[in-house]
Amino acid sequence: MRVPVGVKASLFALAIMGSYTYFANSIPQIESKPPQELSLEGGNVTPAQLVKAGEEIYKTKGTCEICHRIGQKGTRAPDLAGIGSRAATRKPGMSAKAYIIESLLQPSAYIVEGYPPIMPAVDKPPIGLNRSELWALTAFLESLGGTVDVKLDDIPKTAGAAAGGGAAPELKIPGDPKSGEQVFAGKGTCIACHKAGKIGASPVGPDLSQIARIQTPDYIMKKILDPASVGTVAGFPPNVMPKDLGTRLTAREYTDLVAFLLTLK
Amino acid sequence: MKGLGVARRWAGLALTVLVAVVALTALPAIAQDAAKEPAYRSFPVIGSRLAVWGVAQLHLNFAAFILGCPIFAVIIEIIGWRTRDERYDWLAHEFVKLTFAAFSTTALLGAFLLFLFVGYYPKFWTYMTSIFFPTYGVYALLFFAETFIVYLWYYGWDWLSGPRKWIHVSLGVLSNLVGTAILFVANSWVTFMISPAGVDEAGALKGSVWAAINNFTWMPINIHRLIANIVFGGTIAAAYSAFRFLSARTDEERARYDWMGYVGNFVALSAFIVLPFAGYWLGREIYAFNQTMGITMMGGFMSWLWIVQAILIGVLFLGFNYYLWLGMERIPGSERYRKFVPPMLFILTIGFIVWATPRTLVVTLDEVRAMGGTHHPVIGFFGVMSAKNTVVNLMILTTFLSFVLYRRANRISVKPWARTGMAVQWAALFVAAAIVVFYGVYGYFVESIVRIGFSVYQVLAVLSCILIVMAIDIPMFKGARSTGTIRWGTIAPRSQYVLILLAVTFTWLMGLMGFARSGIRQHWHVFGVLRDTSAEAVTPALGYAANVITIVTIVFFALVTFIFWLGGLGEKGKAGAHGHAAPVIAGASGGED
Ligand code: HEC
Ligand code: HEC
Repeated sequence: MRVPVGVKASLFALAIMGSYTYFANSIPQIESKPPQELSLEGGNVTPAQLVKAGEEIYKTKGTCEICHRIGQKGTRAPDLAGIGSRAATRKPGMSAKAYIIESLLQPSAYIVEGYPPIMPAVDKPPIGLNRSELWALTAFLESLGGTVDVKLDDIPKTAGAAAGGGAAPELKIPGDPKSGEQVFAGKGTCIACHKAGKIGASPVGPDLSQIARIQTPDYIMKKILDPASVGTVAGFPPNVMPKDLGTRLTAREYTDLVAFLLTLK
Repeated sequence: MKGLGVARRWAGLALTVLVAVVALTALPAIAQDAAKEPAYRSFPVIGSRLAVWGVAQLHLNFAAFILGCPIFAVIIEIIGWRTRDERYDWLAHEFVKLTFAAFSTTALLGAFLLFLFVGYYPKFWTYMTSIFFPTYGVYALLFFAETFIVYLWYYGWDWLSGPRKWIHVSLGVLSNLVGTAILFVANSWVTFMISPAGVDEAGALKGSVWAAINNFTWMPINIHRLIANIVFGGTIAAAYSAFRFLSARTDEERARYDWMGYVGNFVALSAFIVLPFAGYWLGREIYAFNQTMGITMMGGFMSWLWIVQAILIGVLFLGFNYYLWLGMERIPGSERYRKFVPPMLFILTIGFIVWATPRTLVVTLDEVRAMGGTHHPVIGFFGVMSAKNTVVNLMILTTFLSFVLYRRANRISVKPWARTGMAVQWAALFVAAAIVVFYGVYGYFVESIVRIGFSVYQVLAVLSCILIVMAIDIPMFKGARSTGTIRWGTIAPRSQYVLILLAVTFTWLMGLMGFARSGIRQHWHVFGVLRDTSAEAVTPALGYAANVITIVTIVFFALVTFIFWLGGLGEKGKAGAHGHAAPVIAGASGGED
């Protein structure tokens, strides 16, 4: 008996789809659950409960683990182990609590060295944590090496009210990018080693065409004054970039140059 | 019988237009009422989400087919017109016939989808309308224009022939322009849901609707879908031919459908080769829009999805090549090139393995500890983009080589410079491969931002290699000595199953990518703006998604088979409608396709 073509072709197609389906069912099954809203306002919670709730938020709704690890240095974001105590040393005169809250609400107010400013304000969509959740989260972060002393009232009233809260402050360098470009191509001699957007082509040093996107202003400024202080870019030789640039350029030229580099994104 | 068929088709058109008119005129009224309505209603038995999912995927499959098919149909028609080769004109007509048969179903599914949104997701629909209302009218107009142009194109085939052929070809071109415009409008809605732009924090439109349309992912998705539609149209048309081939009773019929399948597959392959580039661009735009979303997409709960995707793409590459290799068997003189098959297979297999290696996988905590980090120490090495870019470029080069060998299988160049020409071709291939590998390896030693720039060099190397090789190939084999004509119809029947495999795999892949595009929003209807507060806001795991995709794909193929059969496409042995004599393919001269 001959099997009709239609039957053979259908069985063949079913077998193919069946194997894809089987494979997709045999790998780890991960769902993405919508976050639960947490409300603690007015309620009585112990610090331990608070920390526990905060940890939950850290892992789920906060999506912090996309970038951060605890006890492991990530490439995307700083290790958060010990943040409870380290936070107090970040900004002079700022308590650990205040610094942590600031890190969450205005991440670019202080940029940890060596990391790009990619952290989102966590009270804004899409993460969009509310005040209770920020409170618990802060408690959890404090518990990593510090003491839990945060109160609901420490979280600004405007936080989490989507529309409220100012935009993150932007860093402004008082230089003139146009003159900076001339320094780059002329007195600074950068062009001998670097490409920067439309100008330059040398492959000796890294292409700087997008430097402002991937590096912080702080890093760029340090790199010019003292290249070795911020480490060597992977894949490039150390000690090639001149060390005396800081002494050769005037303050004006230096700020103009930095202003120019910050336009490269 | 014929009169009846025509009447039935016009009835189909009338129905389509009617549904569309009712739906579109009812819109503003419905949208207003929606303000007083609940946010969600639940669809009986299967729930609203599954209903929308299934219908959306089906609608998309059909729409992709009817937008993709005319693109190459018109190109083939033009070839036939310029070369006065009747075979091509017949083939173009055949492709438009397929498109045409699927037309009303696409429209009906679209109307059904709209009904589901309005009825079961009223709040979402009201919001989308508040932003996009001006585009609805444009969409309706374009849709009407498209319907009429395609009807004219199809039914005017005989009428607009001879000296009036240019009018007919223009109709074909016009229908493609309008079709593309429709696609772009619809894409503005979907892409806005992923990467909303032009709205304030509360979600209200700030300026003109243009900002919302021209959001981060709009253009990349436009391009990506346009190319993918061509691939899809090609594979479906090829699978249709395969089916006709397998059920053919005469050699003549077999020859005809062998050739048709070959052309369909060739179209699919040519477009498929550029698809990965469009995909990378889309990925980059998603990162640029929102880091968190980009990371969720590639490394978060969706990371396994890309492995499944890579496997499917590997299957497609292998399938395309295998089909070409089998096809060479029916070409006298191809024995000369058989020795190249094993090394090409080797490269493809290695590529497959590297590409299917994940970057970061969400694993359980214990697994992480066992591996000593989230990146596997050995395979993690293959997991980075650098390696993947490299192998996909090598796979493209290999596939291109298969194609070049196929082209020259029965030909011997008579040009005095043929030796030099071939040497240059091989050199171009090796240089391109070397550039690809060099930047692939170098990529491990530089910052990721620099590395992203490298992929551009790799792509340029591959594209210029393709251009150089073809620029030499075409003159080199002009007037070439033939070692025998292609014996159309004698290809091994298993090759036809390869065509079916390609169509099924690509359709399934489209379903999967649809899930990725939609799932990446997670619990948002419009990311960061309008939250999904329904009971079904959970984004399901891959297994569940795969089950749904498979069921919908089965329904799609069942519908397509049914529609093609209903449209009189199944008439056995009879050569096409409208007095278009089917050309005799076997033994046709040349074989240059
Ligand atoms: C898209 C990646 C990303 C996400 C998501 C993210 N962060 Fe960050 N975070 C960073 C980066 C990068 C830095 C360092 C640069 C800076 O200071 O802004 C940082 C810095 C911090 C700091 C300051 C660390 C220090 O050593 O001073 C804290 C605290 C912090 N993040 C907590 C969180 C919490 C809690 C979440 C989840 C609600 C979170 N982050 C989500 C990327 C991210
Ligand atoms: C003699 C060659 C040379 C000159 C001149 C030079 N650089 Fe560099 N530069 C390098 C090299 C090599 C590196 C990479 C190694 C390293 O990090 O020290 C580098 C790294 C950098 C980086 C870090 C890039 C990154 O991706 O993180 C910056 C910023 C930079 N240079 C800026 C400048 C500026 C501004 C000037 C001009 C005032 C300059 N360089 C002049 C060779 C040079």
